[in-house]
Amino acid sequence: MVTGVAPFLERTAAGTGVYVHVPFCLRRCHYCDFNTYADRDELIPRYVSALRADITRVLGAGPTALAPPDAGAPAQWPAITSIFVGGGTPTLLPAADLAAVISDLRAGLPVAGDAEITVEANPETVTDDHMSVLAAAGVNRVSIGAQSFVPSVLAALGRWHELEAPLRAVETSRRAGIGQLSLDLIYGTPGETDADWRHSVETALATGIDHLSAYALTVEPNTEYARRVRLGTAQAPDDDVQADRMEQVDALAAAHGLQRYELSNWARPGRQSAHNRTYWRDGDWLAFGAGAHGHWRGRRWWLVRSPERYISRVLAGESTTGGHEQLGADERRMERLMMGLRLVEGVERHAVAPLDETTVCQLVRAGLLTADDDRIALTSAGMRLASAVTLRLV
Amino acid sequence: MTTPTERIRNFAIIAHIDHGKSTLADRMLQMTGLVEARAMRNQYLDRMDIERERGITIKAQAVRMPYRAADGHEYILNLIDTPGHVDFSYEVSRAMNACEGAVLLVDAAQGMQAQTIANLYVAIEAGLEVIPVLNKIDLPAAEPEKVAEEIAALIGGDPTDILAVSAKTGDGVAEVLERIVDLVPHPSGRGDEPLQALIFDSLYDSYRGVITYVRVIHGELKPDMDIRLMATGFTNEIDELGVISPEPKLVRSLGPGEVGYVTAAIKEVDQARVGDTITSAAAPAPAPLPGYRKPTPMVFSGLYPVDSNDFPDLRDALDKLRLNDASFTFEPETSVALGFGFRCGFLGLLHMEIVSERLDREFDIPLVTTAPNVRYEVHLDPKLRIEDEPEILEVSNPAELPAPNRIAAIREPVVDAMIIVPSDYIGAVMQLCEGRRGDMSKMEYLTPERVELRYRLPLAEIIVDFFDRLKSQTRGYASLDYEPAGLATADLVKVEILLNAESVDAFSAIVHRDHAYDYGKRMVNRLRELIPRQMFDVPVQAAIGSRIIARETIKARRKDVLAKCYGGDVTRKRKLLEKQKEGKRRMKNVGSVEIPQEAFVAALTVGGDDN
Repeated sequence: MVTGVAPFLERTAAGTGVYVHVPFCLRRCHYCDFNTYADRDELIPRYVSALRADITRVLGAGPTALAPPDAGAPAQWPAITSIFVGGGTPTLLPAADLAAVISDLRAGLPVAGDAEITVEANPETVTDDHMSVLAAAGVNRVSIGAQSFVPSVLAALGRWHELEAPLRAVETSRRAGIGQLSLDLIYGTPGETDADWRHSVETALATGIDHLSAYALTVEPNTEYARRVRLGTAQAPDDDVQADRMEQVDALAAAHGLQRYELSNWARPGRQSAHNRTYWRDGDWLAFGAGAHGHWRGRRWWLVRSPERYISRVLAGESTTGGHEQLGADERRMERLMMGLRLVEGVERHAVAPLDETTVCQLVRAGLLTADDDRIALTSAGMRLASAVTLRLV
Repeated sequence: MTTPTERIRNFAIIAHIDHGKSTLADRMLQMTGLVEARAMRNQYLDRMDIERERGITIKAQAVRMPYRAADGHEYILNLIDTPGHVDFSYEVSRAMNACEGAVLLVDAAQGMQAQTIANLYVAIEAGLEVIPVLNKIDLPAAEPEKVAEEIAALIGGDPTDILAVSAKTGDGVAEVLERIVDLVPHPSGRGDEPLQALIFDSLYDSYRGVITYVRVIHGELKPDMDIRLMATGFTNEIDELGVISPEPKLVRSLGPGEVGYVTAAIKEVDQARVGDTITSAAAPAPAPLPGYRKPTPMVFSGLYPVDSNDFPDLRDALDKLRLNDASFTFEPETSVALGFGFRCGFLGLLHMEIVSERLDREFDIPLVTTAPNVRYEVHLDPKLRIEDEPEILEVSNPAELPAPNRIAAIREPVVDAMIIVPSDYIGAVMQLCEGRRGDMSKMEYLTPERVELRYRLPLAEIIVDFFDRLKSQTRGYASLDYEPAGLATADLVKVEILLNAESVDAFSAIVHRDHAYDYGKRMVNRLRELIPRQMFDVPVQAAIGSRIIARETIKARRKDVLAKCYGGDVTRKRKLLEKQKEGKRRMKNVGSVEIPQEAFVAALTVGGDDN
């Protein structure tokens, strides 16, 4: 268990982030249910303009427009500790556009000097020119979607990049001077063997990256993968197999010096993703771009999902918010528990009080939870059963 | 309006389900001019929705039809409708006792069915004149000659004398009415004797209280008199005296042989039970009419609200149902697995289905119904009897069966069953009956193609899935009827089901020792499939006393987490968690095993067989 973490509710520990969504891809992967479109590239120039105008409008209005002052919201923007440009495929945008978006944010917000600035990339879109421009704009972290290094698994996932492309993307980013690199992998794809998974993880780690995300393949409704399962041309993933794979990646990552810090994330010391940790520590973050979700002092909001509508809202000078909710105390507690338990460091007891101590004891005895006077946290076995454990504690 | 008995004909129609009883009744109403064709609602006499949907008649009713016969006289024909299911055989017998004649209506394509024959015997026993009629002669598949032979073989007479009709088109129905007038004896009661009126049905009406349908045997009912119900002792003045023709119509009197209805501010049907005798409170008859019997439930089941907060509502609902169903009983019980509920007694399986359907329909309370069972007579070992304990216990909940070593003997209800089946299926039926511990007592060919089989069977073996199995193994051709035949000793044991070493009372069953292993194995397998994996290994065991006879393990769940990349959409994840939390609240917790309601229901529904 990580100790010496600042008190949960102190915002500095959670950090304050900015999320920017780019809803465009070259093609849609079979498992993907994100808000992204593979057939609307012609929108990109207008989308970028809208995105920048939206950023300027929101930042100009100040933090009190996001949450009422009685929620404890400061009158000034607090220091921004992370920016994350995700998608979709952000690197599908011209590098200059991405750089412009980032500099807009830097202009309107007190972005900390050591802030983590991440751009997500699909391997086939990473070029030297692109990465140099991004590096110059302050991007210091790239998260690359590799998913697998086994051709049959990539095919099953509907990924069509060259097998070596992610490795080249890592090199390209490094050459551009971007030091923090993360690869995304997916495990438990039906047809993938233990040896396949070992190969994928080892290939990823052999690049010397300092951060690894490994996700279990999840069949979401309305995806190509779900359709194939329904038709019987693809199988649904097996929970037991995924449990094994989760243990496998944890051991392999540890052997390469990457420690797990969250359910699906491993990093070298000091290289944990600050942005993701803001989510899990119940921090605040601003949101820009179609379908992006934000959180500010107990208020969650999300922007309209369709890029066209996002653009037209901005053009009309209207808010891009599609919906929002003000969290009650119970909801807040539930979210802290649900998010906080995903972290290896766990969650502070006072942030999720009241806890049923009998249940806590049972879970500790079952080897799923650790508990001390200040915190509760999942064990490695508990991580595999995080939903079930959380359900018992809410 | 007392009609001379010579002008009265009281009759019932005996028919199998779908053989056209209601259609024939409708046609009679039309032909006697009682109901105009365009006002005709199909199957006028079946009242309740459930009956209409299932095409069966549960509650008897009587309709008075004035009829001018070919002889030029005006007659009163009282058609007394009878229930058409084995569960209600006592009601059938009372309705028959209110008649002098019966129309035996047989589908010319399908022939006699077991139930028809059983009811025919009731009619013959009650001394009724039986008028056989072939129906559906217009169907291409009709074989009137063959079926006529079959009928003649059973009741005697010349097959060529049997009337052939199409109730649907009305063809031949006029002849049936004439034959009723000619052949059915008129009633023979005396108006100057003390009043004896037979209750052959009673219905609850929320405005008028219980409506009793009666047949006056002797004496006279008058609107201003005080009546006494001889079995229950209920006494009150008459509110309303009338006949159904086909709408209720008040009358000034009902004399011997007449059929009508009486209301007297009776609060629940239990106070005016079928078979009871109405007499005058001022000048009571010295004795009631013979044949009264208190309804005895034969099949029992636990009814539990899915949501324990519904318990008081369930009690109210059962109280209300009981107002119009005296043959249904209930008392509170508790189950470790299911919480608070009621052990309910029913006449039979159909009756049980009707009650649960009514609860669902009229009261909208989601219920868990435990597998049906019978009532056992348990003889305790005198050496191990607890002080004040009776020698014999009546057990209608398997969970309450004492430990095996304290039991000297168990007696279970048995029935005499009659099965009529095409001869091709004799083998299948025999196999089924023998698998259900049946003893054949008779096999008789009704015709070269159709056989009547008689078996003595434990009731417990019939109430679980027997009829469905019989139907499926005979491609729907077999028909079944049965009547109680007392109790018989059997080598019975209680099989308990243990989840995580804790007995789940709702799954306990009393079965024959030879079937215990099969039952145990089946339940254990079924539960292993139905119960979702938990955070730990869960042993599922079947046991007789302390002896484990079957075991399976629900392997621990190894992964239960959303290990996917989700953006910042925390709201959606929390909503999912809230939904799961709500689902968890509805789970039953047994031995720290969480069982979703649906798994419980599924495990209980099949209860017995799936081999």
